[in-house]
This record gives sequence, structure tokens and C-alpha cells, in this order.
Amino acid sequence: MRSITSLILVVLLFTAACKKAQVPTAEVNVAQVKEITLDPNAPVWDAVSLHVSKMILQDLVEPRLMEASTSETQVKAITNGAEIAFRLEWLDDSQSDMPGPKHFIDGCAVQLPAKVDPNVPAPQMGEVGKTVEISFWRADWQAIVEGRADNINAIYPNASIDHYPEDAKSLENNPQARAETSARYAPARALGNRRAGPRDQPVEDLIADGPSTLSPAPNAISKGKGVRTKNGWAVVITRPIPAGFTVSTPSQVAFAIWEGSHVEVGARKMRTGWVPLILK
Amino acid sequence: MARVNNWQLGREMSYWYPESRPQKQFAAVFDTNKCIACQTCTLACKTTWTSGKGQEYMLWNNVESKPYGSYPLAWDLNLLSLLDGQNWGEENGQPVYKGSTIFESAPAGERVLGWRPESEDYAYPNVGEDDCAGGIEHGASIDIPHQMAWFYYLARICNHCTYPGCLASCPRGSIYKRPEDGIVLVDQGRCRGYQECVRGCPYKKVFFNPMTSTSEKCIACYPKIEQGLSPQCFANCIGKIRVAGFINTPDKAEADNPIDYLVHIKKVALPLFPQFGLEPNVYYIPPIHVPTAFTKQMFGPGVDKAVEVYRNAPNDKDLTSLLGLFGSTEAIMRKWKRVGDKAIGMDENGKELVNVPFKEPVHIRPAYDKLYQITRTNCP
Repeated sequence: MRSITSLILVVLLFTAACKKAQVPTAEVNVAQVKEITLDPNAPVWDAVSLHVSKMILQDLVEPRLMEASTSETQVKAITNGAEIAFRLEWLDDSQSDMPGPKHFIDGCAVQLPAKVDPNVPAPQMGEVGKTVEISFWRADWQAIVEGRADNINAIYPNASIDHYPEDAKSLENNPQARAETSARYAPARALGNRRAGPRDQPVEDLIADGPSTLSPAPNAISKGKGVRTKNGWAVVITRPIPAGFTVSTPSQVAFAIWEGSHVEVGARKMRTGWVPLILK
Repeated sequence: MARVNNWQLGREMSYWYPESRPQKQFAAVFDTNKCIACQTCTLACKTTWTSGKGQEYMLWNNVESKPYGSYPLAWDLNLLSLLDGQNWGEENGQPVYKGSTIFESAPAGERVLGWRPESEDYAYPNVGEDDCAGGIEHGASIDIPHQMAWFYYLARICNHCTYPGCLASCPRGSIYKRPEDGIVLVDQGRCRGYQECVRGCPYKKVFFNPMTSTSEKCIACYPKIEQGLSPQCFANCIGKIRVAGFINTPDKAEADNPIDYLVHIKKVALPLFPQFGLEPNVYYIPPIHVPTAFTKQMFGPGVDKAVEVYRNAPNDKDLTSLLGLFGSTEAIMRKWKRVGDKAIGMDENGKELVNVPFKEPVHIRPAYDKLYQITRTNCP
């Protein structure tokens, strides 16, 4: 009886050790599954191979990040044939999801070449004629999607506002006039700048043809969800699988992480080079 | 970095982009000696442009008391403490800046030397209001002239600089300078709210809006400028301290251009912190009662001459007449002239816009009114 118990214990320990010691792969292997998920904690991720991407400083164009922060990102990927989902997990002790002066937001991004081609674009934001597609997740939009009020009191709880022109009594029963008045004092929103909201997705779709060229993608194709882990973030970003990406035609993928508390924003970020993306 | 000419420094300097001056450059002169800090300009701007959500703390126009006032907090002191060696020299009788600008002293990895204000730095727009530089000893307030317990008001808008720090800082090229009038704008469709411009503007006149996630700034009321009208903060100025117009470079100065006359010919109006290197286009007639050690740091080496010229204004009919045109019309005076005891402001075609006597007629009212056979007093 005693030896059977010992044997069971050894088997359990061996199994646990095997699970813990998942050997990271040099490439991002995309596992084919029936259903993809937005949930970073879904069990489907347990069986997927792990890639650990070493992050490097963005130190090619000004403004540069001069001091390294996030050292690595754990990456997993799955697909259902139509959509591809990336799960990124990294360490970040401080949760930065409140915008404001000198307040920057935790975030991550997945970058893919717009065309699956062995001749890949430059890894840093692509290059002229070789567009990259970027899905960018932000912690503040995640908080708003999950119900945090998108107003000044959410950022400054003690703020006291006398009056906004759009709240004038004369506009009470005229929603169109209210919207026009609101847009008058929010030119970014009036111009359709997606940064200005509405924030109904925590992920933004972008394209770029080199540094300084980041622009909104024609269509919103990505979704995402981020959750806090014990000491960092786990984020899932989904998007349509790149056209032409097959078992026999691999592609490339790159990642970027912004640590808001480290004043990382825009070009000030930790990034990777291209990592092979392989459909299994 | 390119090499560009900054005439305010008397030398070339390094800038992120090559020199590209607009067809016309919006400019202004503010007379600090006339400002009473009524904040009507601040409210005119606030009501017109920044009453929306996320703009609550945003003052594109503000008026602060010097030496202790500042908005955002310590905007000037913080940069002055970062910028080394702000010394001026002289070459061929002209002042030349021997120190480094914010572009020339940009740290590794940065486009400009800058710093980032915190939320709290915007929370006290009236800090230091009316605080004197020194204590008022008992009875000093009734001594004339006052002892040197000075303060003065500094009204500030965006300087629509020739070499904007905000524009140089933006890695996305979301900030541009209009070729037709030199007004500096943030493209609200392109801005992604990185706040690099907030960091890079030494005057801290670009503001982050957390509700739109973009940065916003003074637009010099360009819809009015396009109609030949002065911005709201000029048109509503109770003290008539401001005049708006367009400035030429010193080599192309025109005596009948009000701004050129004040800046280039009389040299009575000076740029704000020229040593930063932005060639700011709002010029200040410095306060004449403030120790020049202070004002020279703020307005450059031309302070002594400017104060001398301003003090002599009663003997200078031309200058007096032009000062009298400040705030006399909402229209932008592209030209001016003095005819006898009148100052005339004109549009670019020389058409009269306004006609102002610069000597007030004096009426002496006799104590006894013979017509109505009544004694009048001066009591209210």
C-alpha cells in the first residue's frame, strides 16, 4: 500500500514537473483549435506551446526608450481557421490605466506583415511599400469597456464641474444639438479620431509603413481582453488569420509592450524583432 | 538636425527640421505695464474653446503674477534649471546667445530638452497672485516711488513659435505650422496623445485632454484671423494691452507694420525667454518697474533699451500714437501711421480701420455753471 502511494506521488510530481517545465519554442506555434477565446484564463491555453519573446529597447528613432523595463513576454497562439488569437503575458507590478498629464497607459501590440511573404518588412513599424498591421491593446480602454465611467470624475474623483455647454437646459430635448455642442469642444471626436472614443473595444487596429506613419486601419478587425495577473497582465488579442498563412507558408509576428508607470508611450516602448509564426 | 537662423539669438542654431518660414507670421505685442490681471482674456478663451469634457483645467490663455505665479506650476523655473549656461555675449555690437537652446541640449534619445508637468501642476492657475517679490515694510505702501516690492502680470498664450518645441517633439508629425500665417496647430485627427508636445513645449502651452486622449492648444482663433479679426483674448482685453498682427524678419522690417515697428525698429517689445531657442512670436513690452536682473532673464538682453524707449514714450509721438492703437479695433491692423495727434490703423491695402486721438482733450469745468446758474462740485 505504502509503495503504491509512493508511486502515485512520484507520478503526480513528475506530471506537475512536466507541466511546469514547458520548454519554450523559438517560434510562435499556432495551435489549431475548434473555438478560439478572448479569455486569457481559458483552459485551452494550457495545452498550447509557449514562446518567450525577449524584449529589446526601442532605440532606433527618437524619442527612444533609454532604460529597459519589461524583459520578456510569454506568447501563445491559437486559431480556428478563420481567426487567430494571441495570448501575451508579462510582468508589470503597477497597474497603469488612468490617463492624464504624465500618466501613461499599460499596453501591448501584435504586429503582422500585411502580406504573407518571405521578404518581410522592417520589424520596427514596417517600411514604405511594406505595410504592417498592428493590433494595439490599452489598459484604460479595457477598464472602460468593463464599466469604468468614461468621464473626468473617474480620473479625478473630487473634480467639481460647474457646467458643460452640452448640458445647457435649452438643449435638454434636442439630442442632435447636444451632440453638435459636445463635438464642438471635442475636435478629435468630431474628426473621427478613434482615440477620442467611443471606447467599445480595448483594441485598436492600425497600419504603418515605417516609424512615424502609424495610422488607423481601414476596418476594425481585432478584439481583445486583458486581465491583471498576480504581478502583471495577461492579454488576448484576436484578429482574422492573415490571408495566405498556412501550414506550408509561415509568416512572422512581432510584439511590443508599454509599461505606463515607466513613462512608456508611443515610440518609448519595449519591442521584439520578427519571430517566426508557424501554423501547426 | 538642421541648421537654422534664429534672429532672436543673433546666430544659427540646430533644429529638428530645416528653416521654413511661413508666408506671413502671426505675431502679437503685449504691454505688461497695462495688464491688470482681470482675466477677461482667460475667460474669453475658455468660453470660446475649452468648455468641454477633459478641458476643465485647460487654460490656453492665462495670466500669472510674476515672480511667484506660474501655470502650470513652475513651468519657467523647471526649464530654466535644466538649461545650462544661458549667457549672452555681443558680436559687432549685437547681442548673441552663447548658451544652448532646448534643441541643442536635448539629452540622448530625446528630440528636445523638456519635462512633464503632473496633474497637480495644473490645479493652481492663480498661485502667487498679487504676491510681491519682497515684504512691504510698515508705511512703504504710501511712499512714492514704491520700494522694490514689485510684481507684475504676465499674460500668456501659445507663442506660435517659428521653431516650435511641440512640433519638433511630435514623433508622428501631428503638429504643423500653417504656411499662410504661421499658426501652430495640433492635427486632432492624427494626434495619438503621446504628450511628447506637452513635454517639449517649454512654455507648457500644449495640454493633454484625457477625455479625447489627444493634446490640444491655442489655435490663435484662426477662424477669426482668416477674416482679418483679432483672437478672442485680444478683442476682449479690458486693459487694451494687446495688439495682433504679422511680423517680418528684422532684415525685412517695415516701419508701417505695427509689430515690426515695436519689435524691430523701436525694440520696445521683446520675446519671452528667447534663450529657449524657439523664436516665439508673442512679444512683451517689459515691466518698467521690475529689477532688470529678473526681466533680462525673462526677455533677453534688450530689456534696458526697451525700458528706456518706453519711459520716453511721452516725448515720442509716433510710439505714443501706436501704443494708443492697442485694443482700439477688433480688426487686425496690418499698417499704421500718425497724422498730427491722431493714430490711424489700416488694413493691408491702406484702408483706414480706426482713427484714435492719442491726446485726450482736456475739459475744464468751472465750479460755477453760469448757464444753469448752479455750483457744481466734483463730488459724486
